[in-house]
Amino acid sequence: MGYTFTLRTIYPYLGTLWQAAGLTLALSLLAIVISIVLGAGIAILRRSHSRLLRFIGAAYVEVMRNTPLLVILYIVYFAGPSIGIRLSSFNAALIGLSLNSAGYMAEILRAGLIAVAPGQFEAAHAQGLTALQTFRYVVFPQVFRTIYAPLGNQVIAVILASSLASAIAVDEVASWMETVGSTSFRFFETFVVAAIVYLVLCQAVNLGRLGIGRMLFRQGAVAR
Amino acid sequence: MNPVLQLDSIVKRFGSRTILDTVSMTVNAGEIVCFVGPSGTGKSTLLRCVNGLEQIQGGQISFEGTAVLPRSIGAVRKRVGMIFQHFNLYPHLTALQNVMLAPMVVHKEAKKTVEERARALFEKVRLSHRINAYPSQLSGGEQQRVAIARALCAQPHLLMFDEPTSALDPETVGDVLGVMRDLAKEGRTMLVVTHEIRFAADVGTRMVFMDQGKIVEDGDPRAMIAAPKTERARQFLSSIHG
Repeated sequence: MGYTFTLRTIYPYLGTLWQAAGLTLALSLLAIVISIVLGAGIAILRRSHSRLLRFIGAAYVEVMRNTPLLVILYIVYFAGPSIGIRLSSFNAALIGLSLNSAGYMAEILRAGLIAVAPGQFEAAHAQGLTALQTFRYVVFPQVFRTIYAPLGNQVIAVILASSLASAIAVDEVASWMETVGSTSFRFFETFVVAAIVYLVLCQAVNLGRLGIGRMLFRQGAVAR
Repeated sequence: MNPVLQLDSIVKRFGSRTILDTVSMTVNAGEIVCFVGPSGTGKSTLLRCVNGLEQIQGGQISFEGTAVLPRSIGAVRKRVGMIFQHFNLYPHLTALQNVMLAPMVVHKEAKKTVEERARALFEKVRLSHRINAYPSQLSGGEQQRVAIARALCAQPHLLMFDEPTSALDPETVGDVLGVMRDLAKEGRTMLVVTHEIRFAADVGTRMVFMDQGKIVEDGDPRAMIAAPKTERARQFLSSIHG
């Protein structure tokens, strides 16, 4: 086999690569933010006094964790129009990715809520803090610290999962890889370049997260 | 006499178990009431009913003339400080921030005013040097003294101590009891659930012996320790005297 690995063959396609990387980043970061908000709602449902609400929360988590993201993306993008919901491929990918990630975020947040000692709620209530004040000043800061590390895992998982959006024609990095591979026939090079782009994106986001964490949590504040 | 707290035949049940069985008592301003008795007899539950951490199933509680009800509980909690067995300091805040939170958030006081008062309180509980430490960096006795400062900073009319020294190493118990003695000298109204009989005898103005959800004996601490009127109190007091 006379295949010579030369990255030079990829140079003509780098312009579209930056656009694709930008789209991957935008899709992932938006999905992360939306899924944290959605996940928080579901985590709260799962701690509700109502059995029905708890069931709805648990059912959501199980459905999202036990179905492939690809199927969810297909449902949102291809099945949506049959019930009158027509979305651009980017919006469909954003919705599918957010719905899927919310199932995991809900579990991460729920674990964070469970980790707050009951005595914390009692102390806050005894001091006269309202439910909202208790959440804002006492519970949320502690949950945030507990989930900060597992949140990092989920952030990376979302960035990598966003590659499935190529299946519904979003021009992100995986889609770039498929197109460039099949037009240039330099598959090996495009795969390697795509892998590097994902690696760099994930590491950049993760280093950003660690840096913010270092600023937010001063020494001593983490341990309880 | 100036009643701060009135309990009128209160009943507390957990499922089918009755924890407080028609308990009535009046606490006047300046009284230091020590609650003693075997564990599981409702002493802590009684305190927790006063500030609404537990709901009562019967009877009525009134604090400074206001009925303690779900809709008035916020106003009651503003004037009642509570100290817990396990301190329950907020782990993500420094000692100073722990003390300042409620006055600023609940009482809406200016930061400057609160901080001045908080610093004075740290002096009072002899922890001025630990003001910027996080709870995890403090010993149990230090944490409990921060918790006392936290309760005091909201300028409560009633202080409730729920077994404040039960979770402490023996050598730090004295520091916490020392601070509590100082508070007693200021004429504060205090409810103290404790197994420290010496403290009850020295500092308490009144001792309440509870058993099986009822007040069995209520009177002068020294008189009760020297000569309990009931057999049940005599048994209990001699058992913890050792």
